[in-house]
Amino acid sequence: MFGLNVDKIRKDFPVLSSGVIYFDNACMSLKPKQVVEKMNEYYYKYSACAGRSAHKLSKKVDEEVDAARMEVQNLLNAGSAEGIIFTRNATEGINLVANAIEWKAGDEIIVSDKEHNSNLIPWLKLKSQGVVVKICKGNEDGTFNLKNFKECFSKKTRLVAIVHVSNLDGVESPIGEIVKVAHLNGVSVLVDGAQSVPHKEVDVRKLDVDFFVFSGHKALGPTGTGVLYGKKDLLNNMNQFIVGGQTVLDSTYEGYDEELLPKKFEAGLQNYAGIIGLGEACRYLKRIGFREIEKQEEKLNKLATELLSGNEKIEILGPKDWKKRGGIFTFNVKGMKSHDVAKMLDASKGIALRSGTFCVHSWFNAHHLDGAVRASFYFYNTEEEVRVFAKEVEKICELA
Amino acid sequence: MVLCWIALPIFAVLGIFSAKYRKLTIESLECLFKTATFQKCKSGLDDRIKSQITGKLLKFSPATAKVFYKHYKIISLILLILFAWSTYASAVGVYNYIEYGNCNGPSSDEFCILDPTGQNSATCGIPGAVTGNENIIYPKPDMNRPIIGNKDAGLTMIEFGCYVCPYTNKAEETVREVLDYYDGKVNLQFVDYPIPGHEYSYESSMAIKCAEEQGKYEEYHNKLFAQNLNFTNETFGNIASELDLNVGQFGICMQNRTYNDEIEKDKQMAIAAGVQGTPTFFVNEQTIVGPKPFKTFKTVINGELKKVQ
Repeated sequence: MFGLNVDKIRKDFPVLSSGVIYFDNACMSLKPKQVVEKMNEYYYKYSACAGRSAHKLSKKVDEEVDAARMEVQNLLNAGSAEGIIFTRNATEGINLVANAIEWKAGDEIIVSDKEHNSNLIPWLKLKSQGVVVKICKGNEDGTFNLKNFKECFSKKTRLVAIVHVSNLDGVESPIGEIVKVAHLNGVSVLVDGAQSVPHKEVDVRKLDVDFFVFSGHKALGPTGTGVLYGKKDLLNNMNQFIVGGQTVLDSTYEGYDEELLPKKFEAGLQNYAGIIGLGEACRYLKRIGFREIEKQEEKLNKLATELLSGNEKIEILGPKDWKKRGGIFTFNVKGMKSHDVAKMLDASKGIALRSGTFCVHSWFNAHHLDGAVRASFYFYNTEEEVRVFAKEVEKICELA
Repeated sequence: MVLCWIALPIFAVLGIFSAKYRKLTIESLECLFKTATFQKCKSGLDDRIKSQITGKLLKFSPATAKVFYKHYKIISLILLILFAWSTYASAVGVYNYIEYGNCNGPSSDEFCILDPTGQNSATCGIPGAVTGNENIIYPKPDMNRPIIGNKDAGLTMIEFGCYVCPYTNKAEETVREVLDYYDGKVNLQFVDYPIPGHEYSYESSMAIKCAEEQGKYEEYHNKLFAQNLNFTNETFGNIASELDLNVGQFGICMQNRTYNDEIEKDKQMAIAAGVQGTPTFFVNEQTIVGPKPFKTFKTVINGELKKVQ
């Protein structure tokens, strides 16, 4: 109702006190004190195994991990906690699905033309099994082309693996429409939510997605944490991926009985501190509220676009309309390498942002571009920071 | 590529202490190799350095940043030349220090970073000494005057020294070492230069000449150094007594300043030779200034002995 108190929020992020202008949130968000303290709590007070030992410390870890799983379930509005699988990151979640489904030669997978390597390479790897990867081309301005998408389907299509919000330009895919089309064709949908979960409300039941992955480290959570959500029946029918401790109910010298969900897919001793920290990150995000987060990011992107779009030396990647780019402002300065621009911004005003191809090499190669500079905003960034950024970019443009 | 040339040795040295710089050293090498073989420098180290510097400059002066960004190749080339020159100068300095005890060579008493206390080059400065004298008259040994060491040696080293100067005193041990090492090949002629204002400086110069009058030059010379700079009004008479000199004659000589003209002549000879302070040594036309280490004397003397051979 009263909007974000950004000054107060920034105090939760100790890194910001160094004076850095942190615009590399699409790569990694900063961590609030609450998350770090929650992880420390595990290490200081109950750093034991979960699910194996009978002592109190172990029970406490069980409770905290279960609580974290419920936080994630609530964040995604998933039907049950059993469909929430903890992974190391979104990449591992996608690899899990790619490896746990039994593919047949000729099966087809549809992906968009601007997928992160994490949602492209695991599928391309299946080519060796005879799986065909179809690239669905988007519109010139980077927005999703539903017509092209529909044309990609065939009787052999088994899966649609699609990015929710692009890390390249911030454009959101119409997941609702995509799922409808896919399901009409009897095809499952996996959504890469690495860039959506940290920034907007996601309702996996409403979207009716079959699989959904995201990384904790982009959503205020610790590094080495991620989530795969899957519909229970699909997950139950899938093969196990990594197996060993925790993934079996019983074993003999001849065989073993698979564990139930979610442990079926969580092999070995888990990153308990990270999982518990991720649960705290979910709580923090909910406290802030996604409506406020989106509003703040849009405000910042609007300002950046207004300040810089008039400069003829600046080329914005993606739609010109800031409303279609969420919190991401990707650009190039004509005549300059993206890494040079990023390095100068870092050296001059301590502005941290990403340059290069952001793990979307395929899109840059197809468009014959070396790379770009990406400023990705988050709710703890300020308008003043955007102004400083724009001013420095203007100065750099003068060099070109 | 130019920046990689500069970066390579710098990072190589820093790499000894830090793994971070080892990685940069490898990148510099890669950059140099690729450029030399007309390939694209993959590491982009040169671009990173360029951008880093431009960014830093942007903070203070966008105009300067622009000049640097536009002309960085020329600027880095100039830097490379300066770097090469300073590397050469540093190498020469290190060589000079190793060989002569001073970065600037044997004849220098200027500050040397490798000898920060200046102990190898310090002298008792002569007030009013002319610097940069181009018409140096190198002193020649006078065989009618006392020689210390083997009289038949083929090479005579001349030392302008003062018995009350701490640096002349410090050099004395090395001088002894030189005379022992080159026994039969090198001897020494010690020329007094009483430093004005130094107490007992003039008196010691007069005393040695009064002792020479009685045939006890070398003995008196050794006794003066044996004082270790502790002189009183009685010192000179006491030494004369110890050496069984005619104390009366010695006293009259001292009182009358009998050899004042000779002392003045020696001073003029030192000034003509461009001596700035004591001790200063001449080995033919090679100069050694200050209490340089034995190695310095050895390098210079060996060079001069070779010429004779």
